Amino acid sequence: MTQFPDLTSFSGEAVLTILGMAAVTYGMRLGGLLMADRLPQHGRWAHVLERLPGAVLISVWVPSALSAGAIGIAGAAATVITMALARNLFAAMAVGMVLVGVGRCFIGS
Amino acid sequence: MSRPGQTENQTKTQPHAGHFDSDTIRRGALACMPLLPSTIIFGAVLGVLAAQRGLSLGELLFMSLAVFAGSAQFVSVDLWRETIPSATIIIATAVINMRYVLIGASLRPVFRGRPLWVKVTGMHMVADENWAVSMTQKDLANPGFLLGGGMFLGVVWATGNTVGYLLGGGIPDPEVYALDFAFTAVFAALTIGMWKGRVDLLPWIAAAIGSIIGHYTLPGTWSILAGAGAGVAVAALTWREDMDDDSLEAEFAVEGRDAYIAPEGTADITPATETGK
Repeated sequence: MTQFPDLTSFSGEAVLTILGMAAVTYGMRLGGLLMADRLPQHGRWAHVLERLPGAVLISVWVPSALSAGAIGIAGAAATVITMALARNLFAAMAVGMVLVGVGRCFIGS
Repeated sequence: MSRPGQTENQTKTQPHAGHFDSDTIRRGALACMPLLPSTIIFGAVLGVLAAQRGLSLGELLFMSLAVFAGSAQFVSVDLWRETIPSATIIIATAVINMRYVLIGASLRPVFRGRPLWVKVTGMHMVADENWAVSMTQKDLANPGFLLGGGMFLGVVWATGNTVGYLLGGGIPDPEVYALDFAFTAVFAALTIGMWKGRVDLLPWIAAAIGSIIGHYTLPGTWSILAGAGAGVAVAALTWREDMDDDSLEAEFAVEGRDAYIAPEGTADITPATETGK
């Protein structure tokens, strides 16, 4: 390190940018919840809302498994299978990560 | 809520239960423990990047606790320059974090029947990880559980940031120990816990296909919205009148949290009214 970094300086511009980022992010978090509160509790919309977490979760990890290549897909498959059989988050994560780690070591990604 | 007796019951147990019970917060924090190594390493990687881009450590920590969204922070810090391109950064943040509208919406059962202040305070510390962990706690889902996970991840994330910022390098490459894969693994594993029955099958397949198509055709995190959109569309199309019962059951299961947080002796009220229905 050539010089000790300035730890506590806050430029007005930076603070405003961060506040803007925080406002849009928090706005979407709370806005989503308040919007859902206005949806009916039963019927089609309630059914759709029930399926939403799974759909979001799948859409988060499927593309990232693809990005990790063939070993990523194998790792995700191993994780899902372990979880379905053992119902243990630690074990499922460990199996997937060890597979990916070892796979990268020997095959490369 | 259309069940007679149920609403009554809610108002009776709620005041005892508390919204952010300290024991529940602790459980939420412990549930996010498997994410500690990856969160700290990625936090450190962001710290190294922030030091290179000229953010002060104070600004970085302020961002980590005020925005609290990993992927958006990586992109923002990467875009950061001497003259900050504020509009670009804020728009990029909005686009990347658009999934939080869906995540927020899916948290409805966790905040059901809670006052507005609980929603306002509980919705800030919501990251993908503690959301996913909370959503799979069938009987424990509770704003305190969610907040506990969020606070834990926030502290770990900020600690990682500080370590990376001060070291300015020498952080192990997350890929070497497959730590980058930890997030993929935890989300893949938690998906199993979200399975509520065969009604999930078609929307899930649609979400997978939508996100795969999005991954190859759209930039950045749009694939999440493509997949979620496909899942929602198929869920809406496959709904039938007779499914209502199932959805009621499922929503009720989440309300089972009342039994968990209710003080000793009052927990059996819910099943009693249930059978009397």
